[in-house]
Amino acid sequence: MENHIISLKNITKRFKVGEGEFTALKDINLEFKKGEFAGLVGPSGSGKTTLLNIIGSLDSPTEGQALVMGNDISKLSHKESAQLRNHHIGFIFQVYNLLPVYTVYENVEFALLLQNYTKTERKKMVMEALEWVGLTDMADKKPDKISGGEGQRVAIARAMVKRPEILIADEPTANLDAENAHIILKMMKKLNKELNTTFLFSTHDEKVMKYLNRMVSLRDGSVEKDEIIAKEAYM
Amino acid sequence: MIKFLLKGILRDRSRSLLPIIITALGVGLTVLLSGYLKGAFGDIVDQNARFDTGHVKVMTQAYAENKDQIPNDLALLDASEWLDTLHTEIPEMQWIERIKFGGLIDVPDKNGNTRAQGPTTGMALDLFSGKSGENKRMNIEASLVTGTIPKHSGEAIIGHDFAEKLNLKLGDEITFFGSTMNGSMTFKTFNISGTIRFGTSAMDKGALIVDITDAQLMLDMNDATGEILGYLKSGVYDQTEVNTIATIFNSKHKLSTDEFSPEMLTLREQNNLASLLDYADVMSALFIFVFVLAMSIVLWNTGLLGGLRRYQEFGIRLALGEAKVQIYWSMVLEAVLIGVIGSILGTIIGPGITYYMQVVGIDISSYLENSSMIMPSVLRAKVMPNLFYIGFIPGVLAMVFGTMLAGIGIYKRETANLFKELEV
Repeated sequence: MENHIISLKNITKRFKVGEGEFTALKDINLEFKKGEFAGLVGPSGSGKTTLLNIIGSLDSPTEGQALVMGNDISKLSHKESAQLRNHHIGFIFQVYNLLPVYTVYENVEFALLLQNYTKTERKKMVMEALEWVGLTDMADKKPDKISGGEGQRVAIARAMVKRPEILIADEPTANLDAENAHIILKMMKKLNKELNTTFLFSTHDEKVMKYLNRMVSLRDGSVEKDEIIAKEAYM
Repeated sequence: MIKFLLKGILRDRSRSLLPIIITALGVGLTVLLSGYLKGAFGDIVDQNARFDTGHVKVMTQAYAENKDQIPNDLALLDASEWLDTLHTEIPEMQWIERIKFGGLIDVPDKNGNTRAQGPTTGMALDLFSGKSGENKRMNIEASLVTGTIPKHSGEAIIGHDFAEKLNLKLGDEITFFGSTMNGSMTFKTFNISGTIRFGTSAMDKGALIVDITDAQLMLDMNDATGEILGYLKSGVYDQTEVNTIATIFNSKHKLSTDEFSPEMLTLREQNNLASLLDYADVMSALFIFVFVLAMSIVLWNTGLLGGLRRYQEFGIRLALGEAKVQIYWSMVLEAVLIGVIGSILGTIIGPGITYYMQVVGIDISSYLENSSMIMPSVLRAKVMPNLFYIGFIPGVLAMVFGTMLAGIGIYKRETANLFKELEV
């Protein structure tokens, strides 16, 4: 068996809608290896976010088995799911969602406060993460004093500071201009290579797709296409 | 994490300012009301003890039953013997005799004809022996408006307002008309040595103060006294201690077959003070309960609003791997910090205003003009050590309780919706 960090077997997800049901995912079978830079693409309503929710242990499948880092998502309690996210999964959102009352440094540090790092360890890790995204000189600034692109870089630093095995990014470039989008994507690609973190995107942005090594196309809750793209094309 | 939360509280005024103000005001108000209740009721008890009830009082059972009528015909005989007994059996208390009497004061003109008259309520104290401590206890010297304390037989102090009403000056002669303990008519002339104002309407209204030896002679009460008052030597009223003393004394000396046998009553058992003291305790507890409830409701609402405003923050924290229970307890921890800050402020403000009310007080003399209750004309608050914690704990509790109610909402949050919620 290969080194699969994520293994999805016959995943089906149904939601109650009024008195009926809506099937968001239908019999999904996918596996992701450590260090992949993959994207879930497809139109709105195709099931991208639902699938990311399951992989990110924010939701569980109605049927099938989702194994993330060897943990069966369906069998995890709320606390165990939180633990899994805390230690192994990072999130980047469309809106960077920084805590406005805290500085850039403190926003990045927050992810570490949930774990038992000493102050010295935290400082070293935070400064390293800010160095990855080129924002060490912005450490003391508040989120309202930095640009959108810088904000998203802080969000990347926050997601990466605990060195998660998996990073889930939902439309990370949706609110960025082309230049900033490329900066962000190059940065993530670099981190993917250096830290061997598995990146999973949900996107319908052409710019993001060009950076992916693997693209899983979803349509109406099913995998339409799963293709390996020419590696390192845009590095 | 505490440092991190504290930074958030201090930097985000909308998160902390309103709850801190509400808590500070609530705590301050509780402290003020508590201080005012304790001060006012404490003054009432203290004045009653000093002027009328003592910490305990010994009377004949018959006198006790009709004491509002000042029935000196039912007075305690062999007073010196009883004083010796009390000193021997209960040495932890100081014992003093007092006689109350009522009658008429007549002010003669230079020809000996009546110039003015007025009813008087007299009190005879041990002023001359120098051992009774009555001067200090009744605060007589400090309450004198003019003149001095009687130093010789035949001298008297009269209420200052009463003296003005009768147009009396120091050194003037007055004649007291009343009845002896045997029911005969008696009259005695006194020289006015001073005028007094105790600040207690019931005492100031028609007051006449003389030495007890003069009164015993005037009222034909040789070795008799209306009342023997006992004061704990510590000077502080202790209900448990005086209860024990009274129970032992009554079981030994109070005879059901002899209405002239002595009976010892505690302060609580006189002048309806028991209900007054219970009322003070109930009111104090009620104020604190109402404060905690009202503050909790207000802070619950503030917490709900804060929860809505921090919806995004909590979403991020859930996504980052903080469990709902961790977020909930961090909110509670924040509430403790805010509650402590608010309570500290309230504990500074409250005693400050209480001190002001202690100095200034509220003048209720106009309501007491026709009252026979012994209570101060100015009700004052009192700053006491317990004021520094009495509002503090409820202040923190109210904030924590309000937040705990508001924080329950975090458990209703679906992590599956986080991506959608955080896109906004």
